[in-house]
Amino acid sequence: MTAAQRWALGAWIALLALAAWVVARTTFTTDVSAFLPRSPTPEQQVLVEQLREGVVSRLVLIALEGAPPAALGQASRTMAAELRKQESLVSVDNGDGTGVAADRDFLWRHRYLLSPAMEPGRFSAAGLRERLQETLRLLDSPAGSLVRRTVPNDPTGELLRILERLEPPRKPVLREGVWFSRDGRRALLLAQTRAPGYEIGAQEHALALIEQAFSRATAGQAKLLLSGPGVFATRTRSAVRADALRLSLAATVLVAGLLLAVYRSGRLLALGMVPIASGALAGIAAVSLGFGSVHGITLGFGVTLIGEGVDYAIYLFTQAAAGGASSAAFDRIWPTLRLGVATSICGFSAMLFSGFTGLAQLGLFSIVGLLVAVAVTRWVLPGMLPTTLAAPIVGAAGPLAMAAARHAPALRYPTLLVVAFAAALVALRGERLWARDLASLSPVPRADQMLDEQMRADLGAPDVRFLVVVHARDAEAALRASEAIGRGLDKAVAAGFVDGYESPADYLPSRQTQEARREALPEPAQLRANLAVAVAGLPYRDGVFEPFLADAAAARSMAPVERSQMQGTRLALRVDSLLIRRDGDWTAMLPLRNVTDAEGVAAHLAAPSGASAVLLDLKRESDRLYRSYRAQALAYSLFGAAAIGLLLIASLRSARRVLAVLAPLVAAVLVTTAALALIAESLSIFHLVGLLLVVAIGSNYSLLFERRAGSEDERRRTVVSLVLANATTVIGFGLLAFSRVPVLHDIGVTVGMGTVLALAFSAILGRRHEHP
Amino acid sequence: MNAARVLLAAVFAHGAAAAADSPDWDVARLMQELAAVKSSKARFVERRYVGILTSPRESSGTLLYVAPDRVEKRTLSPRIESVLLERDELTIETEQPKRRRTLRLDEVPAVGVFVESIRSTLAGDLATLKRVFDISLDGDERQWRLVLKPTDANMQELVSEIRIHGRGSSIGSIDYLEPNGDRSTMTITRDAP
Repeated sequence: MTAAQRWALGAWIALLALAAWVVARTTFTTDVSAFLPRSPTPEQQVLVEQLREGVVSRLVLIALEGAPPAALGQASRTMAAELRKQESLVSVDNGDGTGVAADRDFLWRHRYLLSPAMEPGRFSAAGLRERLQETLRLLDSPAGSLVRRTVPNDPTGELLRILERLEPPRKPVLREGVWFSRDGRRALLLAQTRAPGYEIGAQEHALALIEQAFSRATAGQAKLLLSGPGVFATRTRSAVRADALRLSLAATVLVAGLLLAVYRSGRLLALGMVPIASGALAGIAAVSLGFGSVHGITLGFGVTLIGEGVDYAIYLFTQAAAGGASSAAFDRIWPTLRLGVATSICGFSAMLFSGFTGLAQLGLFSIVGLLVAVAVTRWVLPGMLPTTLAAPIVGAAGPLAMAAARHAPALRYPTLLVVAFAAALVALRGERLWARDLASLSPVPRADQMLDEQMRADLGAPDVRFLVVVHARDAEAALRASEAIGRGLDKAVAAGFVDGYESPADYLPSRQTQEARREALPEPAQLRANLAVAVAGLPYRDGVFEPFLADAAAARSMAPVERSQMQGTRLALRVDSLLIRRDGDWTAMLPLRNVTDAEGVAAHLAAPSGASAVLLDLKRESDRLYRSYRAQALAYSLFGAAAIGLLLIASLRSARRVLAVLAPLVAAVLVTTAALALIAESLSIFHLVGLLLVVAIGSNYSLLFERRAGSEDERRRTVVSLVLANATTVIGFGLLAFSRVPVLHDIGVTVGMGTVLALAFSAILGRRHEHP
Repeated sequence: MNAARVLLAAVFAHGAAAAADSPDWDVARLMQELAAVKSSKARFVERRYVGILTSPRESSGTLLYVAPDRVEKRTLSPRIESVLLERDELTIETEQPKRRRTLRLDEVPAVGVFVESIRSTLAGDLATLKRVFDISLDGDERQWRLVLKPTDANMQELVSEIRIHGRGSSIGSIDYLEPNGDRSTMTITRDAP
């Protein structure tokens, strides 16, 4: 061991110790939103926050299926009864009417403060007479027997006015007394957890409770289906965990098996793992230092580093076997390898600037991991190599690989044809090549997304596309602004621009409005006099409205309703989901139903001073967001590709040589893109990142192929080591293709296919080297 | 003759005696006759006696029944409105204000007692009637009175008793009695078939 090698060894050990220390203190997250784009506008910020921690994030959609309706209904009731006792669930609703009484009671007690009809003049003599005549008609109607008992207290029908306003336009179907899907196959329940959706531990606990309640309640072979943000988060985490473990284990075993077969030496195998382990450790430490935490998916990518990092060890071992301990042969290919590493890093840096925290982490992890792995291979590993090294594979597979390489150029024209075809396909697809919506970035598998949509539709949850978002300094101002916006929206409804809307002020009117309604109640003596005039000539029995006079008098001294008084009602849950405190500010949200003319609606919006209101088109907004991210990703990719090109020009200083290196890469990217377009219908940003990796890794191949070897033997070793390196890369990335997590799957498929093509095209399209 | 035969004979003798008390006519027989009616059309006059009002509210209109589960009550006076019961859906339509609402019977259990008293009686569906009500029948084939009392406690709060009067296979009137003393009487005149 030389002095330089001893220094390198010392530095390496120090680095490992430091990295281990950092990793030991690292927090690992599995927050799903790391792979959602960071949102630029405040409105989008509100939405992403709601998705992360709002009431929306706390919903668990529960369905029971696979048994006769009667059994499902019974199971629904038993489960709901048991789950309602659980502290970790705020509410459990299955449509059986639990909670209706509490809501109704609350509304009944506060009807004169909450009724939207309570305006000045409503209880004048003329106003009352009109109401009493209306009530008489109602008594005649089929609904008469249902309202009769409330008439003495509420002859003007204020409760009905409130209920009419609050009634959801689409309710889930009731069967067996509980909610069912429209087709009657599933019983439905809706639970809300106390913990926000991103607290995965708490979500896991709540889900376990639901599963236990189900297994106790169920009769027969009924099946439990769960959906919702918390469900997705826990599932993604367990999928990421399971995949990271499963796939890295599988990759390690496969790569180790391959290396063992090639080198027939346990020691070499162990040494081959040294650069990867060092790189992975340093990569995790770097991400931890740079981002404060490490995402589970980043760890999942440790797998890919096994595939790529082991390449350098393979180049070293295969070349070193020729020249004994001096590893002079490795020194000869080192400038080429160095260039390869530099191009890889150009490619990965594009990811570093990505708007997705997850991808940026992957970029940093890959760059640091690669640098450390290659440095360890170059400076630490040679000192550890045994003095005599054999690579029997070179002797065995060498001639075959060489023959393949020598004959490859014969495929030049057919290959060019395929590439031309692929290019045409890609050009024809144009804009349609790319996935259109944000959902393509979701870490949630497509099938789960569809189940979620179906369950939401069955539960009558409105498909919110348009939303008015109101900002104000306090809750009262937000509610007043919501009321003002509501008056504008009423006009838009009348004009036919929108079917309806929901407002937090429907459930909790502003203090100002409640006080105005209270003012609309005449003094007791005045009301009695008005009533006497109003009732004259109508067939109501004398004194029948005494309870009304008493209630109205009591309401005059009632304090305005506050959120705290609603505790325990389902109305409180609605208020909490529509009126949110955010960094000292308050945000109110008014979901719109079925907007037919967004501009017409926008024209009717006017926020009072001190508040702001925006009409948000979620679909357009998220599409726009997605397009901007795609454009960004494309720009960074092109930037990365341009950097690679410049690097090659600067290093190779020959247009011919640059072309020889780039042509196989461009061909591989085109053919892979076309193949993906045919297999996957459309490409996501993750596919794009995969293509970038194809260029980064493939450049190693084409560079080494392009390099003029010193001897026929060296050439043979290079070709064999490239095949081996590619095999390990394909193992690493190919295994990712089996992941259930879309981001891992997409990148795995792309890189697995792309690198094989890059190697093949390097052999086919690369420069010919003739050795005598 | 052994003991078993004696017992058997006694049972048969009792059955024969019961049949002899009201020869070939009972609830089952009434239901059979009602079930035989496949459709009918009638006019009605309904009077509601409501405690909070000084005078009864009168309304009138037409009834249409198509076996087994379609009943339409169309009120023509004092205002036009209709209640249509079809299978397990109830559609209420009013002219002023113009409104139409469809409910699944599951959603409004309170309506069930009204619905079943009419629908199951018209259809001669004894099993359903027995599930929802305690039934008693008096009178004879030519002039009978069927009294239905809801078995469910919640329903008892809405209706304490339903009395249906009829002759042969046609219904002459239906009275609803509520626990608070309110009641309504619907007199039905069947149109010639």
